[in-house]
Amino acid sequence: MRAPMKQAVAVHELGSNVAQRDRWSLGRKALRRRIVDYLATGASIAAAGVLLLVLASILWSLLSRGLAGVSWATLTRPMGPPGSGGGLANAIIGSILQTGLALLMAAPVGLMCGIYLSEYGRKGNYFASTVRFVADVLMSAPSILIGLFIYQLLVAPFGHFSGFSGAVALAVLALPVIVRTTEDMLRLVPTAMRESGAALGAARWRVTLFLCLRSARKGVMTGVLLALARMGGETAPLLFTSLGNQIMSLNMNKPMASLPIAIYQYAGASYDDWVQLAWTGALLVTFGVLLINITVRLASRR
Amino acid sequence: MRMTPVSRSQQRRLGFDIFFHGLLWLCALVVLALLGGLILLMATGGWKAFTTFGLGFFTHSSWNPVHDVYGVIAPLLGTVVSTTIAILFALPMAFGAAFWLTFIASARVSAIVGMTIQLLAAVPSIIFGMWGFLVIVPFIARNIQPFFNHHLRHSAFGPLLSGPPVGTGLMAAGIVLAIMIAPFMTAVMTDVFKAIPPMLRESAFGLGATRWEVMHKIVVPWSRNGMIGAVVLGMGRALGETMAVTFIIGNVTTVGWSLFAPRSTVASLIALQFPESPAGSLRLSSLMALGFILMLLSCVSLVLARFLRGKRQ
Amino acid sequence: MTSPLLSSSELRSGESMHDVALAVRDLNFYYGDHHALHDITLDFPARCVTAMIGPSGCGKSTLLRVFNKIYDLYPGQRATGEVMFDGRNILESSTNLDMLRSRIGMVFQKPTPFPMSIYDNIAFGVKLHEKLSRTEMDERVQDVLTRVALWNEVRDRLSAPAAGLSGGQQQRLCIARSIATRPEVLLLDEPTSALDPISTARIEELLDELKEEFTIAIVTHNMQQAARCADRVAFFYLGGLVEVDTADRIFTNPRQKQTQDYITGRFG
Repeated sequence: MRAPMKQAVAVHELGSNVAQRDRWSLGRKALRRRIVDYLATGASIAAAGVLLLVLASILWSLLSRGLAGVSWATLTRPMGPPGSGGGLANAIIGSILQTGLALLMAAPVGLMCGIYLSEYGRKGNYFASTVRFVADVLMSAPSILIGLFIYQLLVAPFGHFSGFSGAVALAVLALPVIVRTTEDMLRLVPTAMRESGAALGAARWRVTLFLCLRSARKGVMTGVLLALARMGGETAPLLFTSLGNQIMSLNMNKPMASLPIAIYQYAGASYDDWVQLAWTGALLVTFGVLLINITVRLASRR
Repeated sequence: MRMTPVSRSQQRRLGFDIFFHGLLWLCALVVLALLGGLILLMATGGWKAFTTFGLGFFTHSSWNPVHDVYGVIAPLLGTVVSTTIAILFALPMAFGAAFWLTFIASARVSAIVGMTIQLLAAVPSIIFGMWGFLVIVPFIARNIQPFFNHHLRHSAFGPLLSGPPVGTGLMAAGIVLAIMIAPFMTAVMTDVFKAIPPMLRESAFGLGATRWEVMHKIVVPWSRNGMIGAVVLGMGRALGETMAVTFIIGNVTTVGWSLFAPRSTVASLIALQFPESPAGSLRLSSLMALGFILMLLSCVSLVLARFLRGKRQ
Repeated sequence: MTSPLLSSSELRSGESMHDVALAVRDLNFYYGDHHALHDITLDFPARCVTAMIGPSGCGKSTLLRVFNKIYDLYPGQRATGEVMFDGRNILESSTNLDMLRSRIGMVFQKPTPFPMSIYDNIAFGVKLHEKLSRTEMDERVQDVLTRVALWNEVRDRLSAPAAGLSGGQQQRLCIARSIATRPEVLLLDEPTSALDPISTARIEELLDELKEEFTIAIVTHNMQQAARCADRVAFFYLGGLVEVDTADRIFTNPRQKQTQDYITGRFG
């Protein structure tokens, strides 16, 4: 039983100084503001579009130039002189060995340092806040300087380049990434979990390793994987440490090949087959790195 | 009697806790030692150059391996100018992208596009070098430089914009660096914009402001320090970028006005000259000294960014 | 069921209550798939305070956010039905949001001073829509600050940052900011929920003066507040309008049992 609908007419006299104009009509000012807003919106879409376009362009150049060289021979034959049908096998194996060894060094130290910062280095611990800051400095330090540092530390004193020093350089790059993600992830573990563990009479190290680290393991893995992705494409620090090698070598004490270095050496070459190998290597490295990143990001979103 | 086993196991427990704590502490110490070692070895490595050239190291403009005379002006200027160009291009790109991602795009589109832009940041820098050499350098050589050479040679900007149309040089390096740091700056700015209380935004919209007005009158003043922090962090990355720059800057150690001429940066010079510098030589020491300067620049930019971000609250 | 529209007796009783500022007809609101408001039909008489009460999540704030279409900021939120304002259905997509929001002001749960000076906070909204000379703007600022009883407190520090004011002062500044664009309707979303009792009392006094000029729609959790300030009270429950009547009637002799239960504190 509704009352008859009343026509909604509002005739207001809101103070004497309200203009008697139709307040729905768009004045020139309102129109100008709209246009400015549309222009700003358009420009911001263009900005995001440029970045997407660049990514597409990079992927397209890699695919169009590199895909032709992806073959069994490329993956299984070592590098060789121009025209000899060389591949990238030694570079791929070198990259795997060096990043693997680097991860073996960086992951335990990084994890433990991250645990220290999160579990023992809360507010007021100056040592911990210094370490935190230093990790950030290391993270943003130019990677070529890491190479120079390891050269001074492990190459110059021994008089020769080595795959081992390359792995150490990569480990120094990976370390701060692992430290900071481990700390961040452990901080997300609720205090109640630590307290309930302690209330059961578990020792602190047990609580830390078996409760906190366990419940944060997914996030910690993310950090390790991101560090791996960062190492995989790094070139500059390897230039001064593992140097690169044309022949297949598994000796960590000798100069060792790696994909990024091979790309660097071949990209500027004047032999077509070398340039082809450089693009193929670039394709492999980029898609490997992007694959890790996509996996990590998709997994951490859930 | 029955107390003994308990207290012994307790002692063992306590003992292991202390051992565990000590182990963690040692690992933290490793991180400190690494940075300390890095700075120390750079400084000692560059000592010979600093003592040989004194202040002249900073004022001398030539880098001359033939006469074994080295000055940092040319690479330092290259680093500063290419970084400045990079910031000038990256800032509007990152700002626009962050504006779109936070305020315009729907949540789903924003998540997907945001992630895709972040993938750009993961592409290895050597790939940016190859791509820049393949795409950006020819574009500048064929389209931009002939145009400037033809129309602006005699204008006031002539010396800045003209030069042989080779494509490689400061401008190409700056553009590629801009693309490399823009995703990173976008991520930081998106975080900063998202930190704005929704009610503050809504009350500005509630007064009838358009999106753009809310952005530049409310959001930007509110997050100014965070945005400057993003720029400084991006700057830190551009300063030390090596492989991409090495491919496209042309690697000539000269000083001059033109933004399109081949130059070199601190990082690219280290990468290129290192293989030709024998151990113990003055040249290698000069490269180490350059590395030390670069490390200082990188540290300063990080501290600055920290300071600015911390000040927001 | 009582009519949510103005009864003929109500229409006759007050002289200035004849106009309807906002007329809501069959309004439905959705947050994505969630149906938040069901077939709301309700009139907001001009120059009256209409309070909306109800337990949390009953849709009262949602209704408020429909009137200035602030929900439009968020993709996935949509409204169907009619909200008539000045002869137009504002839900139509052709409605110019900037103009609409300059005519329907809004004040939020917490004070939201913009990161600028007190003066600029007021001038912000005015400058968007009008071109005033410096003296005209000065007058406008003084006028609205006087009306919210803030002028004497801040006259010497107009160029100081607004964030330096106390919570109550900030909220009055926000009200001043909203009325500075000369709206016809003022929407208040629990404007005193973050304030102490003294500041709350001052805001309530303010409402009494403001209703001479503005149509006020206020969402409140506080039953006493509704009883003190409102001319009409609407009770919402589970996304529906249960009952609307004069404040006296609602608080002394509600028609619906649910209303009775709520105001006597039996739930909510």
